Amino acid sequence: MRTFMSLLKTNINVYFGISALKYRFTKEKKRLWEPIFILLSIIIGGGSLLILYSLLLLGIFMGGQAISHPEIVLTFAFMATQLLILVFGIFYIMSVFYFSNDMNILIPLPLRPAEVLGVKFIIILIGEYLIALPMLLPAFIIYGIGTWSNIFYWLKGIILVLMAPILPLVIASVFVILLMRFINIRKSKDLMVVLGSLLGLFLGLGVNFLTQNIPEGNEKEFFVNLIESNRGLIEAIGNKFPPSVWATLGLTSPGLQGLGYFVLFVGLSLLLLAVLLWMGNAFFYKGYIAGQEVQRRAKAISAEDMERRSSKVDSPVVALFKREWKLFMRTPIYLMNGIAGMIIAPFLMIMPFITQAEEMSEVVRLAKEPKYAPIAALISLGIMLFASSMNLIASTSISREGGTFWISKLIPVSPKDQVLAKLIHSSCLSLIALILMAVPLYFLLDISLYRLIIITFIGFLANVLINILGLIIDLLRPKLEWNDPQEAIKQNLNAFLAMLAVLLLMTILGGISVLLILKGISEFWIYGILTLIIVILSIPSFYGLLILANKKYNSLEV
Amino acid sequence: MIEISNLTKSYNKGRIKAVDGLTLHVKPGEIFGFLGPNGAGKTTTIKMMVGLLTPDNGSISIAGIDIKENPLGAKQNIGYVPDNPDIYDRLTGMEYLNFMADVYKVPAKERKERISYLLDMFNLTDAVGDLIKSYSHGMKQKIVLTGALLHNPAVWILDEPMVGLDPKSSHLLKEFMRKHCDQGNTVFFSTHVLEVAEKLCDRIGIINKGKLIAIGTMDELRHGDQADSLENIFLELTEV
Repeated sequence: MRTFMSLLKTNINVYFGISALKYRFTKEKKRLWEPIFILLSIIIGGGSLLILYSLLLLGIFMGGQAISHPEIVLTFAFMATQLLILVFGIFYIMSVFYFSNDMNILIPLPLRPAEVLGVKFIIILIGEYLIALPMLLPAFIIYGIGTWSNIFYWLKGIILVLMAPILPLVIASVFVILLMRFINIRKSKDLMVVLGSLLGLFLGLGVNFLTQNIPEGNEKEFFVNLIESNRGLIEAIGNKFPPSVWATLGLTSPGLQGLGYFVLFVGLSLLLLAVLLWMGNAFFYKGYIAGQEVQRRAKAISAEDMERRSSKVDSPVVALFKREWKLFMRTPIYLMNGIAGMIIAPFLMIMPFITQAEEMSEVVRLAKEPKYAPIAALISLGIMLFASSMNLIASTSISREGGTFWISKLIPVSPKDQVLAKLIHSSCLSLIALILMAVPLYFLLDISLYRLIIITFIGFLANVLINILGLIIDLLRPKLEWNDPQEAIKQNLNAFLAMLAVLLLMTILGGISVLLILKGISEFWIYGILTLIIVILSIPSFYGLLILANKKYNSLEV
Repeated sequence: MIEISNLTKSYNKGRIKAVDGLTLHVKPGEIFGFLGPNGAGKTTTIKMMVGLLTPDNGSISIAGIDIKENPLGAKQNIGYVPDNPDIYDRLTGMEYLNFMADVYKVPAKERKERISYLLDMFNLTDAVGDLIKSYSHGMKQKIVLTGALLHNPAVWILDEPMVGLDPKSSHLLKEFMRKHCDQGNTVFFSTHVLEVAEKLCDRIGIINKGKLIAIGTMDELRHGDQADSLENIFLELTEV
């Protein structure tokens, strides 16, 4: 037990970076405002999501009460949480169990596989509470207060809420361990990242689709209908995965019956956990070791091929651009985070035209009227700009170099050329995003071709400016110390700061456009003025970027 | 070829002096071995020589070019291999070599010859089409070496170059170093393997706690005592 606790303590420390944090703020005296800022933005961002979610739950609760099944809100919350944890848990577990770097250190230690597995399981469990608690607590509180529940409800509830992630995580773990034992999935780690991201994407689209379908004004009726029509579905899921129903029954059934369901839920969770640990001893290391066998093509390159490949000479800027492009395209986590938005945005735009065809046809009719066409074009510009610039390609491009930044410092290429290659890379992707948006706009809103070309051009100029700003932000405070590429982008405040800069710029441009329209300035003057503003902002920004690059490429130490 | 004078670098706001007033001169045609206990300041010195770290004080010139005044010119003359290189895992070996050749502006003909010569020497030709991700530690070391020497730099600066190399590659590298210096160039390398330093180096420098405590040929270090091995000299000098 002592070794287990010590292993757990060390792992929590490593995984959540506690010592590293302490060191940063006590020894290195890094800026303390950063984590406070991050925390604040999480509270504000997460808080508003939580309020929306709580309102949805309240709707379900009241809808349920109307058909005298108020507990449906609990079933819904437990089921949604457990399903979500089950699905995403599979990817989370895979990465912590099998793809983390510490296995090479842990396997040779005199520890039983079950101990290592147990520690990793607890770490995942802690991580999952970040999802489970915000999802379950509002439902738990809404029902508790809404039905004036007694003290036993609250006591049992706290235990059930805390235990809720265990069951789906155990099931996901068993699935992953068996999978790893028989299939060498390590080879396709990249594929897993892509699959996980796609899943998230589709889930996002699904939620979007659902919320777009909520009619305004008669939400309550909608929820009653939704529950009535989906009760079959909830029951069907409940039949397949009864524990989420047991949790509800354990909380809401009176007396002994309730206690029975409670014991059933808790007992099953603990029993399955024991099974998992037993399985850990039998299969965990074997699967890991089998997956370690690296496969290599080792196909010799023929003499002609060698000749061809080594005879292409590029200028340094082109070579740097190619490096940037290849590394970005070949790292799934970069690709998914960098261009997912670009791909999803056109779909989001097309969706209302399908789900709310009637209202949108009115929009289209207005957009076609000569009087409103300029406004439609400017709004389209806003949409295109938003979709193409809300990414982290430029604002993490120094950070993404991470441990390989020494090469950029070593090579005899001026910092000016190096950032120029990065600017070209991010702006190429921006242009692709703009075109991906422009095409559906052309067909849906019937914007004339010359207007489309003008707004795409202005959008491109604005994107160049935004990418310059992103690069400046990343140069000012690059995050070069990371072990896993996802830290370079997901745990990087720069991406967030750059998005704030985008919003600021869009507010300025949007405000000016509205002002000019109200003043009755003609359409082409507006385009001209917008272009002028962007160019005026870009020139000093670009020179600022070059000066900063020169300074930072010299002063950053690796 | 390499002129370092009064080089100083400290960490933690001056409290820890990693390199302390280091002055040394490496002549053309010389293989210079840089020795010292762990944490003595070897890697810090080397990183300052190639521009990865900025010195607090002092100057460095490589092939007559001051690294601070004209960093790009100085870098063009350096071939550097770090002790534990992090490189672009998601490029193939060939893509990496072409990238290095492009940024060092190696002309097509020379590039072709050097690539095939070096790959052949390090026995990497078969692997060069694979992603670097799939390479072993030693193969990574060799691809970095190849990339660093493609532009035929006058000064090689190698941090622990033999670590991770198999005996044959290590032997070939040593021969290659000798050949390079016989053509009037310079090799500066750090090592913990004293036998290698003893046999290979024209001159040796020993650094301890950031200060150069001995420099000279093997004979000069022995002070006339021919039986003294480098190991004994090293242990005596670096004793606390």
